[in-house]
Amino acid sequence: MKTPPSPKNISTGLPDEEAFSARNPFEEFETLTCRKTGIPLDRIVESAEAVMGRIRRGYEKLLEEEAKELVWMVQYNTIIKAYEVAEKYVKEIDYTIEDIEDFCFALENTQRIPYLIPGPAGVYLSALCNNAKEEEMVLKLSELKTEINLIGFRLPSGKRLVIEGDGGDFTGIGLEGGELIVEGSAKNWTGAGMKGGKILVKKNIGLHTGEWMMGGEIYVGGRVRGLGNIVEGKVFERDKLVYPGKARYPNLYY
Amino acid sequence: MERTGNVHKNGYQKQVMEIYQFISDRLYFNRPDVEIKGEKYNSAILFSLLTSLKKGKELIIGEPGLGKTTSAEYVCSLVYQFPLGIIWSSEVSGHPEQTEEKIVGRPDLGKLNKGIEDVVWSNFSQIPAKIVDEINRLPETKQSMILDGVDRGNWEYLNEMIINEEYCLFATANYQDGGTNTIIAPLVDRFDVLVESRYPGANLSFLIGKGKRRDSVLRHPKYERDLHRIFKSKVAYEKKILHLEETCDAFGEYVHDTAGVKPISKQAREEIRAEMESLDLELDASAFIRMLLAEFSFCERYGQKRVVENCEEGCHYTEYLCHEIKNCASNRLPTSIKQYAQGLAWLLGDSEIDIEHVTSVVPYTLAHRTQWKDEVLSQKERTKRDDPFVLFLAKEAVRRISQRYREQSEHLKDALAIGSKIFQGESLEPLEGDHPLYIEIKKDIEAQRIRK
Repeated sequence: MKTPPSPKNISTGLPDEEAFSARNPFEEFETLTCRKTGIPLDRIVESAEAVMGRIRRGYEKLLEEEAKELVWMVQYNTIIKAYEVAEKYVKEIDYTIEDIEDFCFALENTQRIPYLIPGPAGVYLSALCNNAKEEEMVLKLSELKTEINLIGFRLPSGKRLVIEGDGGDFTGIGLEGGELIVEGSAKNWTGAGMKGGKILVKKNIGLHTGEWMMGGEIYVGGRVRGLGNIVEGKVFERDKLVYPGKARYPNLYY
Repeated sequence: MERTGNVHKNGYQKQVMEIYQFISDRLYFNRPDVEIKGEKYNSAILFSLLTSLKKGKELIIGEPGLGKTTSAEYVCSLVYQFPLGIIWSSEVSGHPEQTEEKIVGRPDLGKLNKGIEDVVWSNFSQIPAKIVDEINRLPETKQSMILDGVDRGNWEYLNEMIINEEYCLFATANYQDGGTNTIIAPLVDRFDVLVESRYPGANLSFLIGKGKRRDSVLRHPKYERDLHRIFKSKVAYEKKILHLEETCDAFGEYVHDTAGVKPISKQAREEIRAEMESLDLELDASAFIRMLLAEFSFCERYGQKRVVENCEEGCHYTEYLCHEIKNCASNRLPTSIKQYAQGLAWLLGDSEIDIEHVTSVVPYTLAHRTQWKDEVLSQKERTKRDDPFVLFLAKEAVRRISQRYREQSEHLKDALAIGSKIFQGESLEPLEGDHPLYIEIKKDIEAQRIRK
């Protein structure tokens, strides 16, 4: 008995170019060079992951190299040294403010970042903010359980950084002309050594505020717990000038 | 002869635009209702010109007395060089008692008395520019007869046949009233585009009522008599066409001299069509049409859209148009889109059919073909709009697909390029993506693998 031929062996009698079944329905796109693969969302996620990976590695290197000194001895030159190391890493990364925000959230996720150490984390975040392309930045730190120290370190002129949540110790130290806004409270040594610019803390501020500050202004919406030894600059408490003035003595508890 | 990009310009675009302007300024008062590449046009005139040049089929809807038939008559007269008297005598008027004998042809009664069978062809079957007035007042069988003839260009009666090589069809339809029948879906699908002839506004309408008849420039009793004589003559249809052409050219000259607008000769129409045919789709335009076709035909659950099957909630593709419509896009849809986009690109003097040409014509090709689900209709019927409801829905659909295309175009083109490479035998995997078109690409690749 004869077996019927399979469909692919049946000749249509048409020349190849007329046979629809043989035609490449995508032939117009034959010469198009594929730029990327993966769906757009995947590409965005992949690219964000790649940037995040590099930011994370920079932070881990900073921890390896500088953590001991920053954790145990908070001296100004150790901070400067750590900042230089952090800046070296972040300058090699092409990132956006969203990546910095992701890094903030990742800081508390132990699976992604092994240690959240408030000092190095703050130095590293400051280096990221100071070297970001954006001039206006918002960091949402209100969800973090740990307060980050040293946020806003050396914030340069022309940059505006808004912290949603509270700042830790040494917030805005060494400020170099930028504008730092803390939506919550800040702890001790805020604005220490700042050279210019403006710090606005909407709630309360701790001790040693403006210690060795050389210029600029600190505005506090709530209470100033204590002023530091201020060289130059102004401190306002609820719109009232408290330094220079006779109302306060350095580090006075009240 | 000027040459821009790939297009040879013989200046016919200017001639056609002058006809547009002449109709718009002197014959058919209207407001512009569509914007294409920064220019505003009246869709009824623009699409009628494209229909006549592309040998298309156009359905013109609107309220009674708003110029549906008249606009088509002016376009036919100026594009095919027929005096209005001939256009009128060739029109088929839609009414329930209409017969094949009046539409196609009748027996030659004199010869029949002598026992000889011969056909007297109707003007409608012979003229290249065909108008059916109030098609939805014809019973469906008669509608079908006309559209079958126009589809194939063949008119048969008493075992005789004439073949129209050049023809276009305009059909007008009133909104549903007591005297109308429905136009059944397979017949509606044969129309390439749907346009609305709109109210021109109180002030223009007032001017129309105040002025005297403006169409006398397109009348010429002598040429009308001559053309009637040719239509009635017993020479072979092919020869008759040649005689018609001579008289039409003479009428064209007359219109040019008296009205200052130059109608289009047969040779010019052929050259225009050749110029149009040389225009290809840009990759973006091609990818966009594929994306649109996928959304208007895809059903994950049942393999394709079918008017008898209702897709359910919970489908992954509920955000796409396939979830909002009942029927499946026909194979005539891409042809209509390409033909009209090609015509528009040519008219605007562009060297390729780009995505804007496509998005401009698509709503007019989709409006009458799409059957929307009842819930979509009830959701949107009270939305503020200027267009008739079906056209409004089609424009909304195109706007949404355009948005998706903007978001996905690069990835979509990559997926199509990879599809091409797989077809050519490269060992690659098709790209994944969240649109029905990616599934369609995979299905084609799978079918190719099975064939091998």
